[in-house]
Amino acid sequence: MKIEDVVCSFCGCLCDDLVVEVDGKKVVNVENGCTLANEKFMGDHRLETPIRRTGNGWEKISYEEAIAETAAILLDADRPLLYGWSGTFGEAQSVGVHLAEILGAVIDNTSTVCHGPSILAIQEVGHPGCTLGQVRNRADVVVYWGANPIDAHPRHMSRYTTYCDGFFLKDAFKDRKVIVVDVRETESSNVADEFVRVNPGGDYAVLSALRAIVRGKRDIIPPNVEGVSREQLFRVADICIAAKFGAIFFGLGLTMSPGKNKNIRNAIELTQELSRHTKFTISPMRGHWNVYGSNEVFTWITGYPYAVDFARGIAFYNPGETTSVDILRRGECDACLVVASDPGAHFPRACAEHLARIPTVQIDPHVNVTTHLARIQIPVGVAGIDAEGTAYRMDGVPLRTRRLYKGDYPDDQEVLRKIYEIVREAKG
Amino acid sequence: MRVVLKTRPRVKPKIPIEAEEIIPQNFLRKNDMKVFEGNKERALDDLFFVTVEGPAVSPDQVEVILTGDTGVVKRVGEYMNAGRIIVEGDIGMHCGNFMSAGEIIIRGNADAWLGREMRGGRILCEGDAGHYCAAGYRGEKRGMRGGTIEVKGNTGDFTAEYLSGGEVLIHGSTGDLPGVEMRGGTLWIGGGCSRPCGNMTGGTCMVFGEVKSMLPTFIRSGLQDMEFQGEKHQMRVYLGDVANRGKGTLLTRN
Repeated sequence: MKIEDVVCSFCGCLCDDLVVEVDGKKVVNVENGCTLANEKFMGDHRLETPIRRTGNGWEKISYEEAIAETAAILLDADRPLLYGWSGTFGEAQSVGVHLAEILGAVIDNTSTVCHGPSILAIQEVGHPGCTLGQVRNRADVVVYWGANPIDAHPRHMSRYTTYCDGFFLKDAFKDRKVIVVDVRETESSNVADEFVRVNPGGDYAVLSALRAIVRGKRDIIPPNVEGVSREQLFRVADICIAAKFGAIFFGLGLTMSPGKNKNIRNAIELTQELSRHTKFTISPMRGHWNVYGSNEVFTWITGYPYAVDFARGIAFYNPGETTSVDILRRGECDACLVVASDPGAHFPRACAEHLARIPTVQIDPHVNVTTHLARIQIPVGVAGIDAEGTAYRMDGVPLRTRRLYKGDYPDDQEVLRKIYEIVREAKG
Repeated sequence: MRVVLKTRPRVKPKIPIEAEEIIPQNFLRKNDMKVFEGNKERALDDLFFVTVEGPAVSPDQVEVILTGDTGVVKRVGEYMNAGRIIVEGDIGMHCGNFMSAGEIIIRGNADAWLGREMRGGRILCEGDAGHYCAAGYRGEKRGMRGGTIEVKGNTGDFTAEYLSGGEVLIHGSTGDLPGVEMRGGTLWIGGGCSRPCGNMTGGTCMVFGEVKSMLPTFIRSGLQDMEFQGEKHQMRVYLGDVANRGKGTLLTRN
């Protein structure tokens, strides 16, 4: 059976034009997908049943047993941490937030290791953003800063920017100018009209220089700013000022390099400065499929987008203090529930070591690095394949993902709801 | 009145204790003080041995002494408005949040957000302080607004972020971006730092050690002689940050 207009559940692009062929309970072919999408849909490394760690190995256990033991672990903890959430759909994330509240836990999503600094900057100076549709139809200048879309978001350029004609750009490849700013040459910089190579950690200074140039203070700029010549800075500023509609996309090269949220703030303030001359927007290149959705869900329930601490019964938020990496590194939490993420693969070693020391439970369809740190793993359906729900694209547009076939697994929401019911009963 | 709080041994010693009730004025009028250990509310004497010596009729006459494993105790001195707190060892995050008067002396190191949005009073840290010393809360437009913070050692990144008033004196070095978004007040850095005063709009920052990665958006406007800790220095004077309105003053050693 061929299913059209399927939403991809890999990266933040949420490409919604995939054609997926299903044979029984297996995806056998994907059309229009990138390499990452093909691997996501066709990959077949699912854990079959819940497992529990024994002395030197694992034993299979029932869902009921796994859920009851998970609830007991969380109830016993004085500082439980619920981490992940970006690989599942909004309805499950919502149950997770309510679970955190009733437990007095910290709930955090993968923004903590990707675009958390972007959110901090947005909270300081706002977000002059737009939808990807606006960029596709209007942007004649596109800037990728600290991002490599060809590798990380393979269809971003073909669906929205370089290779995609828009309503006001009939021959986009010729009409759009693409500027790539990065610390090294990448696949994306190879297709750029202007490649700005910045010294590692030098983004803040380059952004400050560009802001000063756009404000008309060209005379104070030194001959070289963090590896970028004054002439190139002037040229880039002129391209941006001359644009009819410009769009900046930034990635982890900016959010996770020295300066972090201040880099993003500087980029946003450059965007605001450029908008005194023309129309400019700025958007983060969100990586995880529904990480934007986790920020939305957390915010509409708690008021905060990530790193929410319910220890005192009310929501408290302070990245650096209530973020997962910091809590784990300091050895604070005494139990952890990981949902739809793989912190074992992405967190610093000290954090992974602490996850291995405390009772960690993972709810995830696949065996991954975190499995090796966990005490229990509960497999679930894969959102967008055999589970369905709402996800948010990187520009904040919600899309409904469908279930392509009825599988044998419960989904995240079902498992979490059962844990929640046990906890609620125990808490009275 | 002298109040001595010594931490009791705990089964899970790394779980933070939130103890904003530990301020001098509370020991005059409260006898049921509560603190949080993780997600559990505890009585103060569940987690501390409490010894009270002598009388007091006003908070100014109260001295609180913390000893033991205090490095995980957060929010000590929050909203403090009189008296004195002496921490014999390290102290956790948010020590002296919003304090308006009184004195906090820390014999060891202080964790992040020391003196966050402080309005008045004095904090002396004899060791090092963490990130965001004398800064503001997330999204807040103003950091420390008054009073004095003195750190004998080094501080972390974003020291005196959004500094709006008062005086911050760091004898050692700071991390990255001290004085970022600074809009008032005075910041002294005895050692080195990197990228000072990004996006500053007001106030004065002086750096007497090595400055790494000076930002390109500061305009040089002459030399000035200054004295710091008994030594005379010739300082370069910069105005900036001209990426915005640029009304701040940054002085670095010539």
